[in-house]
Amino acid sequence: MTATTEKKPPAHAAPRPKGIAALKPHTTTLMVVGGVLTLLGSFLPWATFVLNKGPYPAQATLQNFTAPLASSGFRLHLVLFGIAAIVVALVKRIPARHRIARALGYGTIAVSVINGLWITVEGGGLGAITASEGSVAFGAIVALIGGIVLALASRVGDLEPVPEIGWKFNRWVEWLILLVVIVLLLLLVAAVLTSGGFGATATYAGAVFLSFLAALGGFLGALHAAGLLGWVNALFDRHRGYAVILLLVAALCLPLTSAGTEYWMTVATNIGVYAATAIGLNIVVGLAGLLDLGYVAFLGIGAFVAANLSGAAASAVGIHLPFPLVMVIAAVIAGIFGAIVGSPTLRVRGDYLAIVTLAFGEIFVRSAQNNIGGLTGGSNAIPGIPPVEAFGIGFDQALRIGPVSLPRGVLYYFLIVLLVAFVMAVFANLKYSRLGRAWIAIREDEDAARAMGIRTGPVKILAFLIGAMLAGLAGAIFAHKTATVSYESFRFLESVTLLAAVVLGGMGTIPGAVLGASILFILPEKLREFADYRLLLFGIALVLIMRYRPQGLVPDAHRRAELVEEPEPIDTGGDKPTTREAVAP
Amino acid sequence: MSAPTTTSTVLAASGVTMQFGGLRALNDVSFSLNEGEIIGLIGPNGAGKTTLFNCLTGLYTPTSGTVSFRGEPLPGDPALVTETGVARTFQNIRLFPSMTAEENVLVGRHVRMKQSPLSSLLHGPGFRRSEREARERAAELLEFVGLRRVTDELARNLPYGDQRRLEIARALATEPSVLLLDEPTAGMNAAETENTRQLILKIRETGISVVVIEHDTKFIFTLCDRVLVLVQGELLVEGTPDEVRGDPRVVEAYLGAPPEQVEAQIHEAQEAEEAADHGAPGEKQLGGSS
Ligand SMILES: Nc1ncnc2c1ncn2[C@@H]1O[C@H](COP(=O)(O)OP(=O)(O)O)[C@@H](O)[C@H]1O
Ligand SMILES: [Mg+2]
Repeated sequence: MTATTEKKPPAHAAPRPKGIAALKPHTTTLMVVGGVLTLLGSFLPWATFVLNKGPYPAQATLQNFTAPLASSGFRLHLVLFGIAAIVVALVKRIPARHRIARALGYGTIAVSVINGLWITVEGGGLGAITASEGSVAFGAIVALIGGIVLALASRVGDLEPVPEIGWKFNRWVEWLILLVVIVLLLLLVAAVLTSGGFGATATYAGAVFLSFLAALGGFLGALHAAGLLGWVNALFDRHRGYAVILLLVAALCLPLTSAGTEYWMTVATNIGVYAATAIGLNIVVGLAGLLDLGYVAFLGIGAFVAANLSGAAASAVGIHLPFPLVMVIAAVIAGIFGAIVGSPTLRVRGDYLAIVTLAFGEIFVRSAQNNIGGLTGGSNAIPGIPPVEAFGIGFDQALRIGPVSLPRGVLYYFLIVLLVAFVMAVFANLKYSRLGRAWIAIREDEDAARAMGIRTGPVKILAFLIGAMLAGLAGAIFAHKTATVSYESFRFLESVTLLAAVVLGGMGTIPGAVLGASILFILPEKLREFADYRLLLFGIALVLIMRYRPQGLVPDAHRRAELVEEPEPIDTGGDKPTTREAVAP
Repeated sequence: MSAPTTTSTVLAASGVTMQFGGLRALNDVSFSLNEGEIIGLIGPNGAGKTTLFNCLTGLYTPTSGTVSFRGEPLPGDPALVTETGVARTFQNIRLFPSMTAEENVLVGRHVRMKQSPLSSLLHGPGFRRSEREARERAAELLEFVGLRRVTDELARNLPYGDQRRLEIARALATEPSVLLLDEPTAGMNAAETENTRQLILKIRETGISVVVIEHDTKFIFTLCDRVLVLVQGELLVEGTPDEVRGDPRVVEAYLGAPPEQVEAQIHEAQEAEEAADHGAPGEKQLGGSS
């Protein structure tokens, strides 16, 4: 890199400021310097004194600072970033070195800023991370500079395209690799869930969690830049059936990891409920392109139906049906309401439809609040819903299978994993069918879809109906798991959150909806100190996503295809005439 | 109304009038399309050509008049019209931009595929067979219009000329008896236009009757069996290309140019026709107006 750029002054770098461009021959040096600074930052103390809430995690406070090589937590992440940067700088055979350096640099910056800011705020000023009363701790500053230098190196160097790795092995080897990848994924999920802990003792849960996410982002970015994620993705595609089964098994194994406690099982079950609901919503919004602002009502309908048929003392109906039957009834009733809400799509489009769905969501919440027909318990909610029972085991019990003991709530977790798998299968199978193509065609151009013979009315109502049924199923499990169903769980904010999960993750994709739901429901769990700012942070995150990654975190393969390089502003077909001359009045 | 209204009439409009507020976009338009015929529809901008297509396909409901298909009145819903056997393309391309070329054609198969929602859900053997058949048919159609090589490209990434042909393939996928083409060569260069002309002739050979709107008179006169001239919503002249070409009313009202100039244009058209007879279709040039 350095050798070729020495001869001719880089003509295309003209618009860049002269000062930075002059660094171009020295990107390798910059990367080494950045890496060394990052390492150095991780070896320094980060906090000059013990904060009010106790010593900062990862033994980063001067007083209980451990030897550099015993670093843990975020300091360990920085050690890895630093070493990776130096290796990438020195081994010229690695493809896309600048791109990797950029990911490492951004990761380092994020980790330093998150921890540095946290200590500064908790410690009451910059003294906490620099020098105070004779003690010094410049860890945050040094690591931040290291990250900036790394990012700078990638900025002045030419950003290579993501390399395509074509490694192919014997089938068994590839299966083994997939197995390893999926086990790693499982451990990673467990680590993300548990990082920072919870409750009163975990005072820095938010910082640890965010820092962990940032580090993870940096590493995954580096792996992606090196082409490894793309390769793993291709492996998945090649052995789809096997990979799907492995993923399902891995999900069922989560209780065996560090996340196998009652608390995390509850969190994971809640995430599953919202993920299943988000996938259902993704049919309506992502595939058919119909904005639904009242979608959580279907989850609520499913939950209230289940509550009333559970034999709970507080329910008005007071009959107790077997749980599988309850699920079917909940899905059917939610589906009927879905079709009713969807029927205005025959007449109204776009924003008007959004308002109709918004109104429906509001009608549902108000009715539930006023205990309509005695079915919802009003502000008393419906408490005391008995747990699901099968083979004489209550689902709220802990489980012991031979030497393995599983925490309470694990059965609900299994149940929700199966539901999510089912919902995913429904989504995937429908997406690649005549019906799914009809939905996408309607999303793309409703008039053209009609001109292709698609009876748009029934097809759109079917989207609402199926989406609502899936939410109804999730609602039935939710009711039994939480044992209390209140209208407060199904307010407008929840609908917005679900919609945000779909948009954040990537419209029209399954991993997108799951990832979006996970992020949006773990974050509040972890960032309790920010409970008051939850919506603000939410909004900021969404604005940033829409600005820098409008296709979502896990975009649809089709949308990804057009974004092979950087997500520069895309010209969405502006090169063809857009006069809507042939539109119906 | 010289066309014989025998059993060979596929599509017929009678007395179609379309009123938009104070504007009468179509006034008492009647014509019939015979089996295997190619009709050209010409007229100045704003004459009502596209409006006529919209009335024929159920996108607009005519203020008065009727449209019939093989003697039966056509339903007033675009989806049902397509199911009955009348497919169309749009003047301003209306593909599904973030679907691939193949998927666009598969959407065209919608009315000819049988998949219940349940089989879509379960992906059973019947479903897989219908998907395979649809894909095979889509591949044939893409081959037919010369787009096989872009099967997996997103429609929005295709060059303009390819987009127009993909729209034709998508319309053909509905297995129409009648194909309505709204300015299929707009924005194309001479070679692409010639390709399209050949394509339309090939389509006719498969037994499909075609109505084509075009401004390029050369294109129309060398392609069509019959030409309709629409001016300010009125069907002014109808006849063979030769009759229409020579008609002074056409020269005056539509071409609006002194006769000598029109003569020149017509000569040009004839030359092109001769050239087309033994000239190989030119090298395709892509990306006309993008
Ligand atoms: N939906 C509509 N509402 C009002 N006026 C329309 C509508 N569609 C077409 N028109 C008018 O009808 C006339 C004929 O338009 P059109 O059929 O598009 O012409 P052409 O295709 O021959 O260029 C134009 O004056 C146009 O403005
Ligand atoms: Mg027109």
